[in-house]
Amino acid sequence: MTSVHRFGVARGALLLLCTLLLLGAVDLALAQPFGMTRPQAAPEVGSFVGWILAKQSEFYRMMSGTIRAAKADGSADYTLLGISFLYGVFHAAGPGHGKAVISSYLVANDETWRRGIVLSFASAILQAFTAIAIVAVAAVLLGATAKAMGDTVRVIEIVSYALIIAIGLRLLWVKGGALLALLRPGAHEHHYRHHDHVHDHHHGDRHHGHGHAHDHHDHGDEASAWGHAHGPEPRELTGRHWLRRGLSAIVAVGLRPCSGAIIVLVFALAQGLFWIGVASTFVMGLGTAITVAVIATIAVGARGLAGRLAKAKPGAGMIAVRALETAAAMVIVAFGVLLLTGYMVSERLIGV
Amino acid sequence: MTAAIRVLFFALFSLAVISPARAHPHVWVTMKTELVYATDGSVTGVRHHWAFDDMFSAFATQGLESKEKGKFTREELMPLAKVNVESLKEYDYFTYATADGKKVALTDPSPEYWLDYNDSVLTLNFTLPLKTPVKAKELRIEIYDPTIFVDFAFDKAAPVQLVGAPACKLDVQLPREMTFAEGKKLSEIPADQPNTTMAWGAQFANKILVHCP
Repeated sequence: MTSVHRFGVARGALLLLCTLLLLGAVDLALAQPFGMTRPQAAPEVGSFVGWILAKQSEFYRMMSGTIRAAKADGSADYTLLGISFLYGVFHAAGPGHGKAVISSYLVANDETWRRGIVLSFASAILQAFTAIAIVAVAAVLLGATAKAMGDTVRVIEIVSYALIIAIGLRLLWVKGGALLALLRPGAHEHHYRHHDHVHDHHHGDRHHGHGHAHDHHDHGDEASAWGHAHGPEPRELTGRHWLRRGLSAIVAVGLRPCSGAIIVLVFALAQGLFWIGVASTFVMGLGTAITVAVIATIAVGARGLAGRLAKAKPGAGMIAVRALETAAAMVIVAFGVLLLTGYMVSERLIGV
Repeated sequence: MTAAIRVLFFALFSLAVISPARAHPHVWVTMKTELVYATDGSVTGVRHHWAFDDMFSAFATQGLESKEKGKFTREELMPLAKVNVESLKEYDYFTYATADGKKVALTDPSPEYWLDYNDSVLTLNFTLPLKTPVKAKELRIEIYDPTIFVDFAFDKAAPVQLVGAPACKLDVQLPREMTFAEGKKLSEIPADQPNTTMAWGAQFANKILVHCP
């Protein structure tokens, strides 16, 4: 093992450790629900999630006060923006399917952390934009009721969740196919036979170099099914068109507005300060983006570690990596299905 | 190495699965609750008065027509009250009752429900009748949202009242801290297994206990 290699592994291990510590803290909090105290009360020491939720509630409730103050003398503008930002940071750290879908998407696609950050910011900003657009069109222009806005959100919800399922299924198809291809008994010998086969048919053919792709196509097995129908090899999926491809994930996650943002916007509107609500929503989105980006980066780091470990052991390692990607794709599908069927409720505007 | 990969699997799964397991309040309700008794001493219904926070109140009244700007009469709020009450059905009105340990069925609210709007605060008033009135030595009512989208808290001054009750002892419990034994029991559930024994939101239940002779 070279020193460079050792350094890489050590860094990966450190990253993994950080991930686990963070998740451990979340797990711990989950195992002790009493840690999640009521918003007004001080949270239990060591309850990470409880603390996050308490902070988030606190900031959310402070927003109402600062918006009122802004109406009174306009002095609280910056305070409101500061609170909105913090609310965004804590809001995304708590619940929400956004970061889970983005993280799983990045893991399944083996994207870089830079792309992860771009996707996180784009989806959070789109989310802010959807909330503003709904309130601006429905409430400001049309004078629609809360119920009409709630109904609009519910329609958007269905589209968004369906998109998540579609993204997950597509990834599952591609990654699962790659995994199956690797798992096929004697995949390597099979591969060689294909080459012979192709060679026999195309003596001295100039297409010889493409034999691999062709024979998959000819045989119509699982590998060809995904290869043919969806074009790119798993490796190529991380190529030039990542942003265009990532757009589906951005839209799926960012389409569904945060209920909190909508309520804040309408409240600001009721105070005659719609613009301050708009500013607050964008700053909130910025805060959300930072948290999601951090979590996405951790996920990408963990994925990178898996990749490095896999390189050390080519055969089984590749299978493990493809299995990881397949699992990440499954997580996305599961999320979409649970959200769409209502088994998992991600923020629902109740009673309007 | 396979162990490391397995750990990664678990880590990612936890990340994905844990996150949406809980919600966070976007609506705050300050409630006053009355338990209504019949002359024979059986409890017949739960009467709620839920005051929403100012942000949700502003949101819920958005776009509603009113004769006087910034003021709403009961009549003007009636359509909203109807939507409120009808949507609450899906959530069992966030009200869970047991009599001597047995689950008590509550029916849909009686038609006399209404919304009030005072000082920018919207208050929903409705009564949930018991399917069959019961006499119970111990009546327990819990009010909570399992997803914690709505945060319920009793009004400090007048949380619960017994209306027409015989000589019963009323006990109101605010969301409590878990005991050490319960915490230990919960922490013994393996981290990768769902907690099926204790509902998350139920930990925040506002509890009403009535002991009657």
